[in-house]
Amino acid sequence: MAANAPTVVPDTVEELFRDEVVERDVPWVVLVWNDPVNTMLYVVYVFQKLFGYSREKATRLMNQVHYEGKAVVANGAREKCEIDVARLHAHGLWATMQHDR
Amino acid sequence: MIFGLRFERAADGALIARLHGEEIDLLRQLAGELTQVLEDPSPTDPVTDRLFPHAYLDPTEEDAEADWQRLVHPDLVTTRMSALSLLVDTLPRDVATGDVGEAHLDEEQEAAWLGVLNDARLALGTRLGVSDDDDFDDVAPDDPAYVAWQIYAWLTALQGDLVSVLLSGLPGGPVEE
Repeated sequence: MAANAPTVVPDTVEELFRDEVVERDVPWVVLVWNDPVNTMLYVVYVFQKLFGYSREKATRLMNQVHYEGKAVVANGAREKCEIDVARLHAHGLWATMQHDR
Repeated sequence: MIFGLRFERAADGALIARLHGEEIDLLRQLAGELTQVLEDPSPTDPVTDRLFPHAYLDPTEEDAEADWQRLVHPDLVTTRMSALSLLVDTLPRDVATGDVGEAHLDEEQEAAWLGVLNDARLALGTRLGVSDDDDFDDVAPDDPAYVAWQIYAWLTALQGDLVSVLLSGLPGGPVEE
């Protein structure tokens, strides 16, 4: 393991991979920005429908968008993120993508 | 007023929409206006920007943005236009004012209805300059935008009914009111 290994030990291997490793290794993120028109429940629906997220995860992301102004809703290779952004735009959400740095 | 749900999931999986004659007329009219916006877009219209945002904010990604727009924009327009056609084709016909008409929608048609309702809210909300703090209750009846605000509030309620039914069919089930 690298010298800068996390000092907080994850509960499970799954948790380690899900939150730390995956997000650090991919170069692009898809952001959804708050807008005054889309309703909270509609945004939850779109996150569940497009990304297959649980109600809890979709609601957490929606709240982050609403209260903090934006949230990272997906990540991956550039081409995959470009498709995700297009799908979000087709559903009327204000999405952009950028390097994850 | 329609008492009870304006959208309901039938046992065979179809989505049933129940709308008054005047609501059907209004949806047809809104669909016509959206079609015009899509067929003859003005580059300075904020509605065009809202329906078709940029993918990249970073100015150094200008080339990527241009490539992405070239690839994706025609599809986004086509998808929206087909949704408008599907909605207009499935609106109940010859429903008198005060009477209720029913539409039975398959999966593709229900996605089209949801898309048009949302695009209509985006377009109208952008035109009205809706902000997070706006409340329809604050708009005076003699305000020139009063009717537009009424339509916006009606679209919000109608879409809310539809989203409730759709969320009930996803993991997590019905949303508590």
